[in-house]
This record gives sequence, C-alpha cells and structure tokens, in this order.
Amino acid sequence: MSLAFVVYPALDAIRLAFYSKLPFRNTFTFVGLENFRYVLADPVFWASARQAVVWTGVSILLQTVFGVAIALLLHQAVPDINLFRGLLLFPYMVPTVVIALIWRWMFNPEFGVVNATLKSTGVLHGDIYWFSDPSWAMVSTILLNVWKFTPFVVICVLARLQTIPVEIVEAAHVDGAGAWRRFLHIVLPQLKAVLAVVVVFRTIWTFNKFEEIYLLTRGGPGTSTFNLAVYAFEQTTANLKLGVAAATGVIMLVFLFAGSVFYLRLMRQQEA
Amino acid sequence: MALGRAARRRLRAAFVYATLAVVTLIMCFPLLWALVTSVRPNEEMLSVRLVPDHVTGAHYRALLGGRSMYFEAGAGAYRASTAPSQHFLAWFANSTVVTLATTAVSVAVSTLAAYSLTRFRFVGQSVVPYISLLGYMTPSIIYVFPLFLAIVALGLADRLPSLVLGYLSITLPFSMWLMGAFLRSIPLEVEEAGLIDGASRFQVFRRIVLPLAVPGIVATSIFSFIVAWNDYLIARIFINSITQLPLTVGVMHFFEGTHVDWGLMMAAAVLITLPLAVLFMFVQRQLVVGFGAGAVKG
Repeated sequence: MSLAFVVYPALDAIRLAFYSKLPFRNTFTFVGLENFRYVLADPVFWASARQAVVWTGVSILLQTVFGVAIALLLHQAVPDINLFRGLLLFPYMVPTVVIALIWRWMFNPEFGVVNATLKSTGVLHGDIYWFSDPSWAMVSTILLNVWKFTPFVVICVLARLQTIPVEIVEAAHVDGAGAWRRFLHIVLPQLKAVLAVVVVFRTIWTFNKFEEIYLLTRGGPGTSTFNLAVYAFEQTTANLKLGVAAATGVIMLVFLFAGSVFYLRLMRQQEA
Repeated sequence: MALGRAARRRLRAAFVYATLAVVTLIMCFPLLWALVTSVRPNEEMLSVRLVPDHVTGAHYRALLGGRSMYFEAGAGAYRASTAPSQHFLAWFANSTVVTLATTAVSVAVSTLAAYSLTRFRFVGQSVVPYISLLGYMTPSIIYVFPLFLAIVALGLADRLPSLVLGYLSITLPFSMWLMGAFLRSIPLEVEEAGLIDGASRFQVFRRIVLPLAVPGIVATSIFSFIVAWNDYLIARIFINSITQLPLTVGVMHFFEGTHVDWGLMMAAAVLITLPLAVLFMFVQRQLVVGFGAGAVKG
C-alpha cells in the first residue's frame, strides 16, 4: 500500500518521458522517443554528465580518504573520545540549506572569511571568485559535499573498525610492524568490504544530488556546475519541458539500476 | 629510547588529541562561524576574529520579532530588502507541524507494514524488500514532478498536507525496510506464547512486539525527522504561497533582495539547526546504532 507513493510516481515519470506537455495547458501528447533524441542532442546534457562525473569522482575520493583518516583517529582509545565523535558526526544532520547559507557567507569574495584569511596569510593576493568563476564554483560545491558527507564514511568505517579483533593488530605490532604497515597490511584489507559498499552507495547518491549544487551555485555560473539532476530541474522549471526532464530521469534511473546491480553483485561476492 | 612505556603512551595520546582537536576545529568551523556571525553587530561584520568584540541579539530579534529589515547607510535608513523575515515564525511553525506529522505517520505505517510483512504471508511478499531498497536509492528529483501532478490532481497543491505526502514517499520505503529488519530479530516464540495464553493479535502486538521494537522505532523517527526537516526540493516544487513555506525554502528568499543581511541569515541558519542539535544530543547513541543498521540516506 505504502509503496504506491514511490512506485506510481516513478512509473509515471517513465511514462512522461515519452510525452510532451505544452506549457500552461494540461494536455500530454505522445511523442515516442523525441524527448530522448532532444536530450542526447543537447550539448548541455553532455556537459552536465561530464561535470557530474568530475564532481562525483573528486568528492568521493576526498570523502573516503578523510573519512578513513578521521575514523582511525576516533578509533584510538583516549578519554573523552565521545565528545569528538559527536562533534565530528553532527555535520551530517545539518540541512543542506543551512550549509549553503554558511558557504555563501564564508566564501563570499568580498566579505567572506576564507578569502580574508587567505589574503592575510599571504597565500593569495587577488580575490578568488568562488561562485562566479566556473572552476572555483566546482571547487566550492565539492567542498560543501565533502564537508557534509565525510561523517557518513566515518560512521561506516568506525563501525567496521570496532569489529576488527585487537589481537591481530597487536600481533603485528609485536612482530615489529610500524603504524603505517599495520594499517596497510592488517587494517585496510579488513576495511575493503565496507569501503566498497560506501563508495558504491555514495557514488549513486552523489551523482544524482540536487540540493548540494543548486542551493550553492544554481548550477552556475552559466551551466558550469550542472549535473543531471540540476539539468532535469531546469528543463522543467525554466524551459517547461517536463517530458525532457522525465527522459533525463529515465537515463538517471538506468545509471542507478546499473549501480544497484553492481552493488548487489558485490554483496553476493562478499557473502560467498 | 629512554622513553618508558607510560611516557610513550602519554605522548601518543597527546598526539591523537592534538590531531583530533585540529580536525574537529576544521569540521566545526563553518557552524562556529555561523554562530559568531549571528551575534556580531553589523558594523563589525568584516572582522575575521573568531571571538566577537561586541555581542548583539539584534539579528535574532529582527528574525523573531517579525519586523521587516532596514539597514543604515549614510544619512537615512533604507528599506533594504524584500526579504520577508516577518514570515520566519510562520515558516518555523510550518516546518514543525509537517515534520512531526511525517514522523508520526511514517513510524505508525512502517511499523504496521513491517509487522504484517514479517508475520503474515501474502502474494508478492518476497519482492517488497527489493522494491523498498530501490525506492530508498531513487533520488527524489526523478519522481518529484510526477508526484506534483498527482498532488495537483488531489487538490492538495500549495497546502501543508502535500508536503507530508511528499516526505512519506521518501521515508516510507526505507522505514519499512528498517523496521522489517528490527522486527525479524524478535523471536516468534515469544508472540506464540502470548497467543496461546489467550491474548489477541492486537494485544500481542501492543504488549510484546512494540516494547521490543523501540530501538527500531527510534531509528525510524530520527530518520523521518531529518528527512522532513531538511528537505528543500519537494517543498520548493509543491508550495507556492509565502506563508505556507517550510523554513528551508523560506530562508532562501532572503537572497532575493538587493542587499544580503548576513547577520540575519546566520541567525536563521542557527535557528534552523537548533532543533536538530537538540535531537542529536538526546539520541546520539541510538543514532550511531541506527547508522550502523543503515539508517542513512543522503
């Protein structure tokens, strides 16, 4: 019964992909594959896809590296660790709108603390236009994404770290393995499974993220930080092409489905 | 080499502390900076010091007092912004009502649905978890527009109940999946014993299953609360009138004026985050358990 909430709209989205809706009129005309032809011929679509790959790839890489590093730190047995744990996990709960507000303030080219600090420490001489320069806009959206979702990696990795038997790490210690080699040869292989799951999940989600980009840069300047979700949104709200957005949605679903199959296969492999 | 075991351990703890402190400072800096800005007087807005020289409650008063904003520039005060800060309290109320309703319905429906899924047999039962998982993975941008068409057809557009329905489409598939996982871990024998002793199905559910399912219910509530409170996209599409907006969409209107009042903006950011911070303090432990069980979507 409750599945009707998702299944029906999802099926309807697929149906819409084959229709065209005239603005301001509530009629739908069947147009076959016309929407798909439009999407695939649109250079903005391909640019969005490329930008989505860059933004996803860099974000995931940074999140995973920082996430594992922080989880290793939090795994150390020192007093008051719970305080740090709480403070480090909280960003995950903060609404994206709030982060976007703070980012727009901190990275404000004229009044922001980031440029001011970079200039006063001599790293920077001119201003960085964080939201109006295409590459810096990409950097600032990636930073937002990394800041918000690193705690997700921390939580997953920390949960796994706590199940690694202390004995095997200590045994390696006794055998004279240094910290780095203990991590590389003992801990990292144990984390492989959880990291695979985290990376697959995060890739699927990050690729289709909307708010993290839209609220910060609106996909701009121009279309330089568009991903497919922002593209679909703009097609509907600015161009009133609901069918085109739906076709984009179907293409996203195909990615998603491929990702899910990959994930399920991964799970089966781990069980075997 | 002269260092003893105890000294080495203390050195290591100090190193861990120092690194953790730096990392925590970096991670918390954006929130800290928002807090500092929200109490900083407008004249000192350009200061980059972490501790403000003067503290003011003016931004919070402007936000909560429902006055429209002015800013001083030279001789006179100009009406600076179309930013409708006078709606802030209404938005806060909208967000609260919608979030609580979503959480309540989500918990009730998913508990009952998961109970029937794990205790009774019916056609198509085995595919339900898979469909739930797929629903959990699907980004809402894909179905938000068709869902909006359905909402329009129901005559709910631009009204708060539409938001509850929209959020349920996000929370329910996953809540069901999560509650199913929790309920499956409750042994059937306990319930059967209850049934044999003459309790009705409903009594068994209420007296035996529910108390055992509390951790699952807590995890589901937290998840639903966060989804509903944090959403932007669905409210942006579903709601049009300025008085019906939830906080997230409302505060983005602050950017529409020609002048952006950063102190006010950061005060808004702090107030939106506050309920989550309170929730987080109470449930931090369960949250980590819930996260471990997979209670995350992002």
